[in-house]
Formats: sequence, structure tokens, C-alpha cells
Amino acid sequence: MSQGSVAPDLVPPTPAGTVPAATIVTDGRGRRSHAALLRYIARRLVIAAVLVVGLTLVTFSLTNLVPGDPVAAALGQRAADDPAIVARFRAEYGLNQPLPQQYLAYLGRLLHGDLGVSWQTHHPVTQDLARAIPATMEIAFCAIIAAALIGLTFGVWSAYKRGKVTDQVLRVVSLIGISVPTFWMAILCFSTFYYRLGWFPGSGRLSPGQAAPPHRTGLYTVDALLAGDLRTFVDAASHLAMPVMVLTLYTVGLLTRFSRSSILEVLETDYVRAAKAKGLSSWTVFRKYVLRAAAIPILTIIGLAFGSLLSGTVLVESIFSWPGLGTYAYQSASKLDLLGVMGVGLFVGLVYLTINLVVDLLYGFIDPRVRIG
Amino acid sequence: MFGIRRPLRLVAGAVLVAASLALGACAQPPTPSDDPTSNGSQIVIDTTFDIKTADPGREYEPTGQIVVKALYDTLLTFADNDSTKVIPDLATYEASADLTEFTFTLVQGRVFSDGLPVTADDVVFSLQRLQGLKGNPSFLLDGVTVTKVDDQTVKLTTEQPNPALPSILATPSAGILNSTVVKSHGGAIDETDQAEEFLNSTSAGSGPYTLQRLDIASEAVLVKNPQYNGSQRPTYDTVILRNVEPATQKMNVERGESQVALGLSGDQVTSLSSSVKLTSTPSATVVFLLINADPAISTLTSNPQFVQAVKSAIDYAALVDLAGAGAGQATSLIPTQFLGTLPTSQALTFDLEQAKAAATAAGANGQTVTLSFPNDIDPTGLPLVNVAQKIQAQLAAAGITVDLAPAPFATEIDAYRDGKEQIGLWYWNPDYMDPANYLAFGPGQTVGLRSGWKADANPAIADLVTQGYTTGDLAQRKALFEAWGLAMNAESPFVPLLQPASNVVSQPSVTNVYYNPVWIINVAGLGRA
Repeated sequence: MSQGSVAPDLVPPTPAGTVPAATIVTDGRGRRSHAALLRYIARRLVIAAVLVVGLTLVTFSLTNLVPGDPVAAALGQRAADDPAIVARFRAEYGLNQPLPQQYLAYLGRLLHGDLGVSWQTHHPVTQDLARAIPATMEIAFCAIIAAALIGLTFGVWSAYKRGKVTDQVLRVVSLIGISVPTFWMAILCFSTFYYRLGWFPGSGRLSPGQAAPPHRTGLYTVDALLAGDLRTFVDAASHLAMPVMVLTLYTVGLLTRFSRSSILEVLETDYVRAAKAKGLSSWTVFRKYVLRAAAIPILTIIGLAFGSLLSGTVLVESIFSWPGLGTYAYQSASKLDLLGVMGVGLFVGLVYLTINLVVDLLYGFIDPRVRIG
Repeated sequence: MFGIRRPLRLVAGAVLVAASLALGACAQPPTPSDDPTSNGSQIVIDTTFDIKTADPGREYEPTGQIVVKALYDTLLTFADNDSTKVIPDLATYEASADLTEFTFTLVQGRVFSDGLPVTADDVVFSLQRLQGLKGNPSFLLDGVTVTKVDDQTVKLTTEQPNPALPSILATPSAGILNSTVVKSHGGAIDETDQAEEFLNSTSAGSGPYTLQRLDIASEAVLVKNPQYNGSQRPTYDTVILRNVEPATQKMNVERGESQVALGLSGDQVTSLSSSVKLTSTPSATVVFLLINADPAISTLTSNPQFVQAVKSAIDYAALVDLAGAGAGQATSLIPTQFLGTLPTSQALTFDLEQAKAAATAAGANGQTVTLSFPNDIDPTGLPLVNVAQKIQAQLAAAGITVDLAPAPFATEIDAYRDGKEQIGLWYWNPDYMDPANYLAFGPGQTVGLRSGWKADANPAIADLVTQGYTTGDLAQRKALFEAWGLAMNAESPFVPLLQPASNVVSQPSVTNVYYNPVWIINVAGLGRA
């Protein structure tokens, strides 16, 4: 059955509790208008820019509201007693200016893509982020892909076997996945698979002394493949396996539960019963009626989970000595490193804005009733 | 183009990527023994990184000291197993009788890693740069003038007598740089210097190692300097320092993935496998209580009877037990590694009855005082919050009621520095290996003022402080600092509590493992059985 021939009474309704964030204008023949789509994206980008400015203001204000002097936090006790060293530090990082002036100067630099210099690392924040983000991204990509595949499969399986032993087992597994703290799981995996069994290598992104592959993307597995360096690829992938496994376990639990409930809801609708009554094969009913209707809440959860993984997982990174964004964010916050904190805040904000935009657009791909205009 | 086919293709692509990663993960991961760089002369050291830079003029964190010590020789140094006596490295020295002029004569023939000789110009540039950068360690040479006498001789003149200067010049921050190379990469002796980035990518020293790679978030790789012609005999061709959390360090060293672990706490070393060895000594970090002597902050804490009550109420042995294996009582504010430290017999002692009597005499009953401390700091693996809770219980037994006021370091440090804390729980790490470090606790001195202890509050101790800053003779200094330590124990508003353990866990094959109060460990001194 083609998409255009779905009878009006068989059109799957929007799953309860989900409100499409956008609608796509169609012409009389069901084709989407590209102009409308572009207008929609442009509007979202303008809103995103305003939100980014708001984000910088909130982050800047909150960081400065914290009682404590960054000079004392950044300098040693003796250095902080030396007026010349303190004056040099304040001048170098612009801390001798009034706060509004500091904020405006930050915004001015931001327009040129300059996030300032971290007083924790002495490096430009852009450079720090360029190092930390790919490290986290490499874990997050792998974890979300694995979790989406496994979680969706489990969710569908569980829904179709509702009430049976398989369903009960999968529900318990997903509950465990959600309930067990990720840091505990990380310690357990590290202790078992590295320390006791030796199946996986230990901490870090590469083995000791192993040089990183030539920088292209910052994702060591990808860079190693691009450089044709299979040995480094294997090394990087083997170091990636355990942190990915830990983060996947949690996300699988989440996705299993959400996809199960979404699919169950759709399975009980009239249009699915009608489709079955028409004699459509189970696979066709599942693919064209059930999955597409259930996909929107699942996609939303995948987007949020991906955002959460990208914004850094401090404890997991800490246990696996993974120099990612979570570690950088924690260190910046504990040292009152204003520019580092703002850089991380900005990136995390952009991640969520982008993911929301992408998810909204994907609604249009998945659900023909979603209209942009 | 809005059909569902394309996302499916994307999903299929993603599956392929995931599958390739899974294949990689399932492949036998490289182990230290089959790594091409692991040729038996490589050593992997796990520690918790706080390094910001490998530029001697800017670094001032423990990990930075380890790295810079290996890359840059200093004019003077200390032997690995004796941190009380300064010895020549790049130079010998003579001091004037009034301890204001120090003349350094360079040892003949020493060269940098590029083969250029170490000259007086390099020394002058390096020390003036340290001063002029106004970085974290610049205070070390406050009031010092550096001048070249001839190609082999440099003179340092101080505004005040400075017997600690030789020890100061042994700190890694005073490392000597190859001025020709550094200047060609933007080096300067003032704040216009642009050489930090260059010095983070390579090194320009005469030390036993050169810097191959530095990632301040994960790893520093040092390789043997083929031009090195100093007195050390580095065993390992490659030294890899990795940033690893303590719990993971323990597993790494026990599995043999690393050969040395530097960050294990007293608790963690109690459950070590028998396959590794432990070198455990009290660190040079002194954890102490500050009791504010300013009546404007607290009429109770400023009462000398109250100070005596606190000193007697603390069960020091229980605190040492709490700190775990290797920790020790701080016998005075001067730790055990330093000239002028006190023997255990002269340390403060626990006497509950005396504490109760003094607390009653001070009028402590019914009053509550606040104990402030940073709760996100754990000097050498000992969380201060554990110490604070123990002290609260011990003082309660003597009739002193204490409210705990934990706060993040970055927040609490202001109250401490401004002298606003009633009772503070803090720690002090030495800046250089001379007991003059600790004179800052004297009346009217930097830390003394943080407890509201003004210069005229105790003229006798203030006089000892003055003598400490000006006496050069080693034997006299020893007696002087011992007298200072005793007087401080008896009359100061500070209570030295303990020195947490410095635990170095290593594979049995690693020898010559010595803890140093400033540079933690000399990687060039490590040997192999």
C-alpha cells in the first residue's frame, strides 16, 4: 500500500501525549513545500541564536554569583598573596573590568568564535573543547547507536509478547538498566572485564605510549581508519568498548521501556486492527502502521538520551580516565574557571537545540501528518 | 526526499559503523608486552593530573613539578634520599656572610638537549623570565636581582638576607632553559613572553629527559635526552605519565599495565595485592587547625585557654589512624622531612582531663564555635571532611561544641585568607625545601594574620621568625627552627595535626623509589632490579 492511498479512517492518530512541534505544508499532491521548510528552519535558527545569548547570560551570571574569588582558586596560596602576580592574572583574563563589561567583551569575542582562554588549562577554550568533545562524542555515538538498536528491538519484542515470560524478563532487564547507577556499573565492568578477566584494556583512549592518529575528526577510531592504521583502530576500539557498554546498558533500559509502551498503545488502536482485518501481513502492519506511529515518542527519547550522553558523563569518564567533556566541565566548575564553564554551557545548550531541531525535522520524515508552516 | 527510505539507509550505515567497532573491540587488545613502545625500558606512571603547563616559569602544580624536574636541570638540587642538604647540579655556589649575595659558578661541559652549552646567559634569562612572567611561581624570586658576572658565573643579590635561596633555586620552576631556542620561539623575560605553547610541545632544557608529547588531560611522554651529561643515570628510555583516578591506578599497577601509582590513599593501600610493593612515608603536607585569635571574630576562640583546650582535646593518634597507613602526626608545623622538625616526643599530646579543665576555664561550655574547611579537597587522599568530623567528636568529649561548616575550596579560601574563620581546618604544602616556608605561620606573617595573630601578639616568637629568615649556618638553623616549632606548639593559635601518607605503589622491578616533598618523585632516579 502506498503512503498516498491510506484511507482517512486508517490514518494513525498522533500518539497520546505527543504534540508535533512542527507541521509540513503540502501542496495538493502531497509534496512538501521546500520554501516552508526553509522558513521553518530559519525561524528555529533565529530562536536558537536568541536562546544562545540567553544561555551565555544565565551561565555568566550564575558563575559569578558563586561566592569565591577565581584568583584564589587559580593561583597558589603564596602567589595569591603577591599583588603583582594577582594584578597580572586579573589583567590577563579581564577580571579587572566591571562584570557587565566582562560579559559584553565575552559576547564580542564570541561573535568571532573566540571563547577566551581557560585559566585552568592556559589554553583557548575552543582548543580544550576541540579536544574534549570528540572524546565524549565517540562514546556517545557508539552508545546511542547500540542502545537504539537493542532498546528498540527489546521494546518491540516485549510489546508483541506482552504478558509472557519474554516480556517479563525484558522488563526486568530494562528496569535494572535504568536503576543501576552508571558509575557503579562502570566500576563493576572495569573490575570484572579488565582487572579480573583481562578481556578489555584498561583506562584511557589508547594504550600507554600509543600515539594518537593524525587529527581529522578527533574520533580516534575514525581517524585511525582514515589514516589506514588498523593497529591504532583496534587499540582505540578496544578502549572504547567498556565505556560504551556501560552507557549503552542505561540507555537500553530507557529505550526499551519507552518503545514498549509506545508500541503497545498503537497496537490497541482501531486502525491497526482494521489493517490486520484487511489481511495485511504482520510485517506490513508493523512497519507501516505500528512502527511509524510509535516512532515519534521514541525518537524524542533517543534525542534526549543522546543529548545527555553528549553533555558528558562525569563519573564514567572519571573511572575510565576518559578525557571528555564531563571531566572538563567538572574541573572547570571546581576551579571557578568562568570561561571554561561558559564554553561547556554553550556547547551543551547548542547540542540540545540542534537535537531538538533535528528531531522536529525527523517527525516530518516519519509522520506524513506532521506539517511545517 | 522526505521518504522513510533515507533514514533507513542511515540506520544501516550506523549499524555498519557499530559492527566495525564491535569487531575492533572483540579483537585482542594490545597489552603492554606487545606494544611496540614497550621494549623493557619504558615505565608507565599513573597519577592524578593537575598539570597546566610544562613551562618551568609558569608551572606550579605537583604533576608539573614531576615533568619539569625531568626536563630541566636546576643550578642546585637535592639528593633523592636527603631533602635537608642542597647539592650542586648545574653549578656550585658561595654565599656572602650576610646572606645577601650568592655567586654561582657553572659546572664545565654541561649541555642542553640540542648540544648547545649551558651558559651564564641562559641562567640569567631563565631566572629573570621566572620573575618577569608574573606567573604562579614568580614569588619564589621576589626581591632577588640576577646578574651575569662572566660566561660561567652568575650573581644573585637579595634585598634581605635569604638563607633559603639555595633551596629555592632547587625547585623545578627555577629550571634553566636554553635561551637561544626559547627566544627564537617568542621567549622573553616579561609578560610579553609567548613561549609557553612551544614549551608544551617540546622541551628546551639540559635535564635527563626531553618532552615528546604532553596532553594535560591524559598523558605526558618523556624520552631520554641523548645529550644529557649530568650526574644522574636514567634507567628508562621512555617515561609515560598518565592521568588516572586513584581507584583505577590501583587496578592498573596490580595488573602490571602501569609500573608505578602515585595517588593511592591510606585506605586503598591496605588492600594491595602482594604482587606490588608499597613505599609509604608521611607526606610533607601538614594538616592543621587555625584558631582565630581575633576577639572581633570570636571572643571564645581568641581566649588562650580555649586554644590550650583544643590542643589537649585532640587525640592525635586517632587522627593518624583515620588517615591510614603511612600517615604520621605532625610534630610541629615543620614536617618530618625538613631541617628543624621536632621528634615525636615533643609533639602535642592528648589529655582529655586537661582539655576539659581548660575548656571550662575558657567558658566554652554552652557556646558553639564554627569549624570551616574545604570539603572538595583531599590532600594526598585524605578527605578533610573525615578529619573535621573526627575533631568535632573529640572536642565534644572535652565540652567544646563545634558546628561544621564545609564549603568548596574556591569559596572557603576567601574566608581563610581574610581571617574570617573562627576555627579553620587547612593544609600546607611546602613551596621549596627549607623550613623558612613555615615562618609564614608566625605572628604578623601571612598565615599568622589569617588567624588574627598580629606581630606584637608574641614578640618572642616574632624574634625567632626574624632569626629564621636571616640565619645561614646549618647547625644554628636547626636549633633555631626546633625552638620555633616548640614555641609554636605551646603558644600559637595553630594546631599541627598530621601528615597524610605519601604512598608510592610500584612493581617489584622498580627500584630507588623516593618521595620528595616538592617534586614528588624523580623519574630519572628510578631504577630497575
